[in-house]
Amino acid sequence: MTGTAVTLDLDGFTGIRSDLIPILQHAQDSLGYITEEAVRQISQKIRITENEIYGVATFYAQFRFEPPGEHHIQVCMGTACHVKGGQQLSVSLEYQLDAKMGETTLDGKYDLEQVACLGCCALAPVVKIDETIHSQLTVLKLRKVFDEDEES
Amino acid sequence: MTLTTDRKNKKMPKEELINLDIDGKQVTAPKGVTVHRAAEINGIDIPTLCSHKDLTPYGGCRLCIVEIEGLRGYPLSCNTTATEGMKVTTENEAIRDIRRDVLQLILSEHPSTCMVCQEKVECEHVLGGTVRKSGVTTGCRWCPNETDCELKKLVELMEIEELDYPTLYRGFEKEREDPFYDRDYNLCILCGRCVRMCQEVRGTAILEFNYRGPHATIGPAFGRSHLEAGCEFCGACVAVCPTGTLYEKASKWDGTPDFQVVSTCPYCAIGCQLDLRIKDGRFSSAVASHDEVVNDAQACLKGSFCLGEVSHHFTRARKPMAKEGNYWREKTWDEAFDIAVEKLKDLVPGDFAMLVSPDMTNEGLYASQKFTRMVMGTNAIDSTARRSLSGRLGLWADLFSRPISIRGIGNASRILVIGLDTRFNFSIIGVEIRKAMQKGGKLVAIDPRENNLARYSDLWIQPNPGYEGNLLKALAGTGADLESGASEAGIDPELLKEAKEIIESGDDLTVILGPGVFHYSSVNKLIEGITAFASKDNTTILPLYTGTNARGAMEMGTFPELLPGAVSRDHSETIEIFEKKWGGKLASDRGITVDQITSGAKKPKVLYLAGAVPFFEKPDCDFLIVQDIYEPDFECDLYLPASSFLESAGTLTNLEGRVQEVVRVEELRDSVRYGRARPDWWIFSQLAKKLGADGFDYEYVTEIQREIADVVPGFPEPDKIDREARVTETPGTVSIPEAVGNPGKAGDGKFILVLHPEGYTHRGISITSRVEGLQILNPENGFYISQADADSLGVEEGDILLVKADTAVGKAKARIEKVLPEGVIYLFVPDSLGGVGGRKDLDNLYRLERNPVRVEVTKSVL
Ligand code: SF4
Ligand code: SF4
Ligand code: SF4
Ligand code: FES
Ligand code: FES
Repeated sequence: MTGTAVTLDLDGFTGIRSDLIPILQHAQDSLGYITEEAVRQISQKIRITENEIYGVATFYAQFRFEPPGEHHIQVCMGTACHVKGGQQLSVSLEYQLDAKMGETTLDGKYDLEQVACLGCCALAPVVKIDETIHSQLTVLKLRKVFDEDEES
Repeated sequence: MTLTTDRKNKKMPKEELINLDIDGKQVTAPKGVTVHRAAEINGIDIPTLCSHKDLTPYGGCRLCIVEIEGLRGYPLSCNTTATEGMKVTTENEAIRDIRRDVLQLILSEHPSTCMVCQEKVECEHVLGGTVRKSGVTTGCRWCPNETDCELKKLVELMEIEELDYPTLYRGFEKEREDPFYDRDYNLCILCGRCVRMCQEVRGTAILEFNYRGPHATIGPAFGRSHLEAGCEFCGACVAVCPTGTLYEKASKWDGTPDFQVVSTCPYCAIGCQLDLRIKDGRFSSAVASHDEVVNDAQACLKGSFCLGEVSHHFTRARKPMAKEGNYWREKTWDEAFDIAVEKLKDLVPGDFAMLVSPDMTNEGLYASQKFTRMVMGTNAIDSTARRSLSGRLGLWADLFSRPISIRGIGNASRILVIGLDTRFNFSIIGVEIRKAMQKGGKLVAIDPRENNLARYSDLWIQPNPGYEGNLLKALAGTGADLESGASEAGIDPELLKEAKEIIESGDDLTVILGPGVFHYSSVNKLIEGITAFASKDNTTILPLYTGTNARGAMEMGTFPELLPGAVSRDHSETIEIFEKKWGGKLASDRGITVDQITSGAKKPKVLYLAGAVPFFEKPDCDFLIVQDIYEPDFECDLYLPASSFLESAGTLTNLEGRVQEVVRVEELRDSVRYGRARPDWWIFSQLAKKLGADGFDYEYVTEIQREIADVVPGFPEPDKIDREARVTETPGTVSIPEAVGNPGKAGDGKFILVLHPEGYTHRGISITSRVEGLQILNPENGFYISQADADSLGVEEGDILLVKADTAVGKAKARIEKVLPEGVIYLFVPDSLGGVGGRKDLDNLYRLERNPVRVEVTKSVL
């Protein structure tokens, strides 16, 4: 993940419509996120409008349209976590960090993402910050995690 | 919208019918249609909010469920194909219950207070039409769509009086930043009609579903405005929206129209059929007609959104006016005619000239040339159509003698387009081109600037501006021609080879020439190219000229060298016929052309401008008569108010030679307030009578039509206007004046300046200045240059550039455009020459005779 390259290398693709998803994945891998410029280039390559590309890309949660933050926060919304209050965790995170799911905080420190099952349902509800899993969370516990982070 | 007016219903071929049973009725339907459509054809209504006959099934609203014998559950009738022997039940208790439930779910995310309000009947009675306009739509009473809402109708049909689900208000801000229509996605039911319309039918794909589930919204990429996203403002999405989400700004609060009539769009040579909706005797809005032969429910922004404002604008001049000393006075028609007669009565050929607009109806044009020839005794009648039919009238006579088909483009296998941007002009052609491409057709685009087709073409070539014609000629020729053509146009010969391979690889070829290339002063090569292609097999040429009725102008003979029927003036047999029919001697002088007047080569004493204003300031003459729907931007001596396209009847001849009716939808109400505008043909014939001429006793427009049908071969009688495409036959050859030579090229520190027409005109006036929305679409004033040139000149966006041609200098801001070729600089010239005030720094460049032209460019240090 370089995150800095502005232009996309699309030489490996033939430019047919069914290439769209692989190209989007390639764009996200090499740029870190889907930039407006990347969408323009893809549009030129496979000759469909930028609006169509955006429509397809926003359908899949895996694509992001903002540069990733320093830390990557994943809130689990799998069945177990959902039942145990994953939604409340999401809302509280959005308030606390002043950014919506799928966005990056203004200072670039965190980005937020909702994901399906992280594979540790027994510990539900869970939030993953970078590689650390925070388990059996409550809104208060989650807040503490960030407060500690601020202090350190 | 539920109002539709089919001029002719599509007839389905007989052999493809199937039989089925719907609600116990034995019915037939064409093979391949959905159950929903089969029911619709047979007059059985199945509730729907998302299906539309022009769009593919989507299955979004789930209201169309039915029971079908042998199928489990409740299939969607809108995406189940009807088959032979099928037994369908469209309604029973169980179906009704499910539908009511589904509808309630839809309503839970739609402002629905009024629908379930217990006082709704009283409210409508008491408040009537009062509490309507409001910033936020919280219920039907505050929705522009109230009287025509498909959702509301279904709620009433299913008698929903309570909502069992919690309601949610989405709280979106209204989107009002784009011209022509507003969007309020709080009302959207995500039926996807607009998305499918924009994608499947228009091929523009501006609207898309973004995100999914509860966050799903509709709009362009990255939350852009429609303007930024490339929307053509065609209005097709607005026309299919079942709710009040998408609404035209201008007619938003007009209420349900009283009735509608089909008429022809007066703005370009496509001649789209439009349903004009009338409210209280006044035009309210226009929607593209489901017309089989021309536009098939599509139009462009001009037809969809610009009729009302142009005809109803407060600056419309509706009374005869005359200059008296220093005063500008209102006159009655009699007084105005007396003044004109005084000036016109003793003139000899050479003293008088008339210029007419190609936007006038055939009847107006015919009367204008008959007036000039038989009353004024001269051939000094010319049309500004000469400028859009650039080069040679002979060429156009030749092109019009071949069949031209707009809808045929949709089936073309190979298409070559030159100098055409179909975003706002000729957008119907763009729709057809994209249709052809969806079917596997291939497109080659030639244009120095990026346009709305270039990105999606199979090959886009950017030649030096002015050399498009060379490429065309080269493509029509052999391998050696390719090399030389490519080097003249400054492109890689390989590109041109590739282009030739593409266009020759199909079964047929359609060559489409946009108005851009006809504006160059050198069109020799272009004409040679067109002629070369025209002689090939399976090749169709589609010339897109400006001027709605320019083809009609040729056929009506509003040129010195042409008589009605587009016959050469020197054709002696025809002269005899006309002299007999018109009862008098035909003039034999050479007449005066528009270019002779603008260049000052000829100076008639009295100049009569009928809807044509090809001047920057008042032309040099003793007496200037202007007959138009607006006063010109400069002083004149006598102004005669013409009726607009809504106030007069007549016919227009489109690109394909179809004679199509313009229907009068507004009464002429003579009064101080409404003025006294009159149809062009009426003004000419009254004036002729006042001057003592015979043969002008027309009382109704049909009388002129009958006379035209008599003298112009193929022109239909008034009661037999069948809108068939025709070819023009031209006996006698038309003489061909020579065009100017080639433009220069960039290099040696020189640039090529292209004067590109901007904006929209109708009858010589700028409709851009009348229609607010069009002003927003105008490109920003300035010199458009490439990034590379900007870098080498050391300028940034917004810096002032000084551009020097041999005879003129101009100054304006630099505008950097990414994909422009190097050494090329574009300047947009306003559509109407009068209103260039306030752009004094560029005035001299606008007046340049040559286009494109070699210039020097420097950064202004000021
Ligand atoms: S106006 Fe036409 S081009 Fe624009 S979004 Fe609607 S359908 Fe698409
Ligand atoms: S804007 Fe109108 S047409 Fe488009 S999805 Fe919403 S309700 Fe349907
Ligand atoms: S394409 Fe031409 S005829 Fe059709 S709506 Fe537009 S201006 Fe009118
Ligand atoms: S549901 Fe959250 S970890 Fe499985
Ligand atoms: S009409 Fe069939 S789902 Fe809407």
